[in-house]
This record gives sequence, C-alpha cells and structure tokens, in this order.
Amino acid sequence: MVENLVLGIGVTALAGALATVAGAAEDTESDIGSQGDPNSQVQLAPQMGYIHRIFNKAVSGEPPAYGLWCALGAGVAWAFMAINLNAILALIVGAAVAVFVQGVYATTAYLGRTASLAKFEQPVYIDILKSVTTVTMAHAFVAIFTTISMCYLMVAALGHPFPLPLLGLVWGIALGAAGSATGNPFYGKERQYQEQKFGAGVPISASGNIVRYAEAGERSSLDNGWFTSKLAGPASGLCFGLIVFFELWRTVLFEPFAGGWGAVIAGVVVILIFMVIDRFIETWARTTFGPYTEAAAAEPEEATS
Amino acid sequence: MSALGGAAAGGEGINPTASVIGIVILLVALGITFFIASTGGAIALIGIIIGGALIGFGVHFVPVGGAPAAMGQAPGIATGVAMLAAGAGLAGLFGGAWAAELGFAVALGAGAVGGGLMMAITCMMVNVIYVFGMGIPSASGKVDKDPITGDTFPEYKSQGTEGHGLPFISYVGGVIGGTLGGLGGTLIYVELLAVYEAALPVIYNAPLEEILPVAVSLAGIFAVGMFLVNAVLTAYNITGTIEGPHDPKFKRFPRAIIASAVASAVCGMVAIMVVAL
Amino acid sequence: MSVKVEVSEGGVPHDRIMAIGIVGSLVAIYLTYLNVLTGTQIFSFFGGIGAVFAIWWGTDSIKTLCSYGIGTGVPSAGMISLGSGVIAMLLATKLGVAAPIGLVIIAAVLGVILGFLSDKVLNMNIPVMIRQLTELTIVGALILLGFASMATGSFAFIDMITGTTTFFGIEVATYSASLIGGSIIAVIFMLGGIAIQHPFNACLGPNESQDRTQMCAAECGFLSMIAVAVMSFAFLSVSAAMLGLLVAFIGWIYTYNEYIKLSKRDAYDWLDAKPIREPKGGA
Repeated sequence: MVENLVLGIGVTALAGALATVAGAAEDTESDIGSQGDPNSQVQLAPQMGYIHRIFNKAVSGEPPAYGLWCALGAGVAWAFMAINLNAILALIVGAAVAVFVQGVYATTAYLGRTASLAKFEQPVYIDILKSVTTVTMAHAFVAIFTTISMCYLMVAALGHPFPLPLLGLVWGIALGAAGSATGNPFYGKERQYQEQKFGAGVPISASGNIVRYAEAGERSSLDNGWFTSKLAGPASGLCFGLIVFFELWRTVLFEPFAGGWGAVIAGVVVILIFMVIDRFIETWARTTFGPYTEAAAAEPEEATS
Repeated sequence: MSALGGAAAGGEGINPTASVIGIVILLVALGITFFIASTGGAIALIGIIIGGALIGFGVHFVPVGGAPAAMGQAPGIATGVAMLAAGAGLAGLFGGAWAAELGFAVALGAGAVGGGLMMAITCMMVNVIYVFGMGIPSASGKVDKDPITGDTFPEYKSQGTEGHGLPFISYVGGVIGGTLGGLGGTLIYVELLAVYEAALPVIYNAPLEEILPVAVSLAGIFAVGMFLVNAVLTAYNITGTIEGPHDPKFKRFPRAIIASAVASAVCGMVAIMVVAL
Repeated sequence: MSVKVEVSEGGVPHDRIMAIGIVGSLVAIYLTYLNVLTGTQIFSFFGGIGAVFAIWWGTDSIKTLCSYGIGTGVPSAGMISLGSGVIAMLLATKLGVAAPIGLVIIAAVLGVILGFLSDKVLNMNIPVMIRQLTELTIVGALILLGFASMATGSFAFIDMITGTTTFFGIEVATYSASLIGGSIIAVIFMLGGIAIQHPFNACLGPNESQDRTQMCAAECGFLSMIAVAVMSFAFLSVSAAMLGLLVAFIGWIYTYNEYIKLSKRDAYDWLDAKPIREPKGGA
C-alpha cells in the first residue's frame, strides 16, 4: 500500500511521536480542568461542605470532547486546504478555531456547574476562569495540533482512505479514551485525595473530602497540572503513542505478507506480548506489595463484604 | 464520563413480548430491504445486523468503573462505557477501513486486531499507573477468585473500597471487547461500502474512482453513527459500570444483543435506502 | 459516588419548548430554500438558525430524560441522538423539497423504535423514554440538516456530495471536495453531539434553573454555528460565508453575555481573587 517502505517507517515513527505529545498534553489539560471522572469529586466536595477553588470543566467525558476538538480542528483545516491554503497553516488555523470553541465550552461549564451549587455556598471565582482557562487552552492547542497533524500524515503520506475530518473524529475519541483511562486514576486518587493513605484506594466514606489547600495558600488547578504532568501526562502520552505507533507499524511493515494477514498476525502477537507484560505487572504488585490484611488472607470469606 | 450515576431502573431478565416485537421489526426491516434493494441489499443488511450484535455483545466485556474507578474505589477503567468502547471500536474501524481493499476477511481481521490492540495497550497502561504510580494492586469487587489465574482478591482489596485496578480477567475482557467492537464496526463499514460502491457510480453516472470519497465517507459516518447507537444502548443495558465477563451484570447480554440487532436492522435499512430509493 | 440529578421545577413547560423548537427549526431550514428561488447563497445562514432552535429544544428533552437517572452520563444521550439522527437525515436529503418534513417523519419512526428497544427490550422502564428518544432523534437530524444546509446552502443530497475545487485557476467539479465527500458531516455530527448535551450537563446541580440552561443551549448553538460558518468558506461564496459568520458571532456574543449575567444572578457569590470562605456551618 505504501510504495516506499523507508518513508512509511519514518512516517510511522513521526506519527507515534506526535501521538505521544498529544496524549501527554491531553491528560494535563483535562487534569488542570478537572474534566472526566475526577470531576465528580470536584462537584461533590461543596455538597459535603468543602468549598474549593478548583476548576470544574464538565464539558463531557474526554472521549467525546476530544472527538469534537480534533474533528473540528481537522474539519477547519480540511476546509482551508480545499480553498488552497498551505497545509501547515491550515492545520494551525484549524487547531486555533478548535481551541477557541474548547475555551468557550470550558467557561460555560465552570459557570454553569458552580452557579448551580449556590445552595452549598460555593461561590464563583472568576479569577480561576481567567487564569486557568487560558492554560487549558494552551495544552488543548498542543493536543489538537499534534493529533490533526498526525491524521494529516496518515492521509497524505500513508494513504488512508478516510478524509481528514473523519480521521480527526476517530483518533480524537481514541485519544480521549486513552488519556482518560490512564490519567484519571492518578489525578483522582493521588492528587485530589493526597491526604489519604498511599497504596490504597480512597475509602468511600472519604468521598468529597478533596485536598483544597496547598503548601502555602490555596490549591489552584494549575498545581494539579504541575503534579500530574510528572507521571499521568507522560503515561497517557505513552499509551496513545503506543496505540498509534503499533497500529501503523503493523500495517506498514507487515501488510505485504500473506495477502494482508501479516498485519493481522503481527497485531495478535503484539496483543499477546502486552498481555504477558500486564500479567507480569499484576503478579509483581501482588508479591511486592503483599496483601492488606494477613487475617483476611487466611479466611477470605470474612473479608468479603 | 460525567458526575452522573444515579440508581437506574434497569431490571433483570428478558421481556418476552417486547423481544418478540423487536424481532418482528427486524424481520420487517429485512423484508423491506429485500423488496427495495433485492438480495444484495438484504445480505448486506444481515452483515450489518451481525455487526451491530457483535458491538452490543462486545461492550459487555469492556471493564468500565466510571467515576469511582478514578478514586481507586471500584475496579475498571475510569471513563464512560460507551465512549471507551467507541474509542476501541473506532480505532479498529481505522485499521479495517485501511485494509478494506485487500478483501473482506482481511479487513475484518485488521479491524478486530485494531480494536483489541487499542484495549490491550490502554488496559496495560491502567495497571502501570495503578501499580507504579499509586502502589495499588488489582482486586475485583465482584468475585473472590480470578476465573483465569486463580488469584484471590479479598485480601488485596483496600479498606472501604469495592476493589481497584484491572485484574487479569478484566484485562482479557477488555481485549475481547475491543476485538468484538472493532470487528462489528468494520463489518458494518465494509458492508455499507460495498453497497455504496456498487450503487453510487450507477446513480450519478460517474466513474468509481471519482465518487469513491463519497462512498467511503458515507459508509464511515454511518458506521460511526451505528457504533455509537449500539454502544449507548448497551451502556443503558449495563447501567453504567461493569467489571468484565465475570460481573453478574454480564448475564444481561442476551437482551442487549436483541436490542442492538433490531436497532442495526432499522438503521441499516435506512442507510441502504439512501442509495436504493 | 454519584451526584443526584436534580431538575428545576416550573418554568416553560416542555411541550411549549418542543412546539417552538420544531416549528422554528423547520421554518428556518425552509428559509434556506430562498437560495434556490433567488439563485443566491446568502440565505444559507438560516440553516444554522434552524439548528440553534433544534439544540435549544433538545436541551430540554435531555433534561426531561436524564431526570430519571439513565445509569450513565448525560453525554451518551447526545451521542445516541446524533448517531441515529445522521442516518435519518441523510435519507431525508434525498426527498427534494420535502426533505425537512420527511426528516421529521423518518427520524420519528427511527426514534420510536430506539425508544421502544431501550424501554421495553432493555427493561429500563422509564416512562418518558420512548417520547424523549423520539424527540432526540428528530433533534439530532434537524441539527445535522440545519448545519449541513448552512454549510452548503442547500438541503439536497446532490449538493452535499458535489463540490468545486480550483485546480491551476480552473474551477473543477469534484465529489471529494464536498460536505459528505470530505466528511465535514462528521464534524457537524460532533458539534451537534456536544452542543445538545452540554447545557444540561454543565448546569446540573441543585440550583439549576431553566432559563439559564436554555440560554446556555442557545449559546452552544451559536458557538457551533461559528464553527460551521468557518468551514462553509470551502463551499459558499465569500460574502455568503461572511454573512453566516457575522450572524453567528452576533448571536453568540449576545447569548454568551446573557448567560454570564444569569450565572451571576444564580451564583452564591461572584468573587475575584478571593480566598476560600468556609461555609457558616463549618467544614
């Protein structure tokens, strides 16, 4: 399908690298804005009496939200390329329009959610809106621009049949799914509930008691980005980068074999390798960390609740 | 997905009358398609129905914990079920559409592997974060023993939670779910693409190469639309969260297969009518 | 932990919102037919207005549906609405002048079946399920038809699959540079899917008020319209696309300002760079 194998491999590597940047920026953006599932705790805290100064960007789950941002960026880029604008410039304009829409959605979500919490005495802090929205927009720009550039490479250099906007939709949803799956637990448990025990889940009774104060002063959502960009962001980037890289790599390299079945077999082998790695991680954790309660280990029936 | 959970009314068991009515609707849709688009259309619609049923079945395998999973309060992946399945299924559709010109079977294989690969990597990274980032081992809340590996869970479940992480059975469920989703989505796409590639050049009197983008786009957007309809219907069936194939909610899958098959039959009929009328 | 879905009481009844939504949307979409009658493209922006009406109506439908606790997030309702809507909408565009009316009928049939499947086959037993999924399918299809006719200036299928591109200075008709051939329909799909679920999802909470949520819906509609107007430069003349962009921008600025005012009205307090004030009861 791709005439020049060397070019194909180079494009694959570049697309994987762009995807890695996109994943890292996406997760950092969603953590700064408290989008996705950890948002439920930001929403819950005032109801439990914990007034906070955390951004509440409840646009929707990350997958549909990024499905829109990336599809929109790709669509605008496509439209400008259709009227003969330079491709790179078109991609930048597309990402800029998408970021504008993202920023507006972020502000309406914060205002809406917070104003609806008036009963619990949670005020609207408009300085949060001014300082945090712009930071999420900057991260979103990086995520959108890299994703739609990657999609453009797939169309222009690898010859995927889907038009650019449809690829933006497909990979945007996949980006949101990968980023939220990998990044959410780290932000939700490790950061929002930093005061809870390390190495254990947050007890359901502690729900809503999120950390609201910082080392000095009050915790801002920007601190959350600072924290999660150390692990959750890069891990999400790795996740999305691996997905894109292996998806392209197995096709570009192995599709010529066995009438296309080579790519399928390569994919199955990669899945099995990841399965073994996952099993290794799981058993490593069990043996290294050990059980929480020795008594329960002897009599598992009693521990079941 | 969002902060919403809430107790849903979804009861157990199959409603026999409604299911029979559903199957009648399916047969009527099939009959109408046969009438207006002859045998070729009807065979394509059967493919679409199977694809939809595969998506509905596949979503049940995907371990999704929703908001509690983000706090390590419940096992599974911390996002919405419909959207995670869509992420995997559409990644599969990407692979399947790419391989579409190599033949029916290869395209289906590529779609299935694409979806499975996406879930295999995502689920592994979830465990990487849980274990190396948060120091939490995997434990299921619904069963005491992993049906595959035989690991016991109660002693690895931290206090006050319903379990956390992705036990191996959930991991395998995720991969199966992604595979079935990718397979189903690609099946819908390939069937529709064949219908449009055959019909559009005749209707608009244009060579296939010129009108191919329209056929690809139409088949692609319909596949995405039907995927989302089936995934959301299934999400309604499992009311939000599920741990994987070992979860008691998994037993609800027959009615989701009926619902997805009927929904795909009706949507597929309409999609075929776009070029048959 | 999940948050209880609470819906404000009173306000404009849902039936009236539905009536305004469906009539307004159909009338506005039909006004784009002036393009054909007068041979211009400047009436294209009416399609966007039609979509805004549909979003405004769909927000209230989602609110009615989600007040029953559907077990998963609000956004899923937007996805199923547009997912089934796109199928109904593309068939309807084949019907010529009757497209908008035909769309309502096709989408209603599709929506009733989907509602029946969710309510009875999946045993959700939610009294409003059939009606609201029917409404949402119609809304999804209307949003798509509205924005599609705004982008191309027409609601006919043939105009959505053909476009022109300039090739070395010569205008060439091509299928790939069209709304469907270029998959711009996928962008409209997501624009509608997020816009329809966002207002209720963003405003939910104990102090949710109908006028604020509906204002947010109009704001989301006009915001999506801006995006569609930007993309319509690929299909329409510059003046028609500029007019669409201008109308969308004015509508957006007005509704966004009103929304901020309403948020200020409903908020407990409106503070700039102030510390956390612990509630009087104590944390």
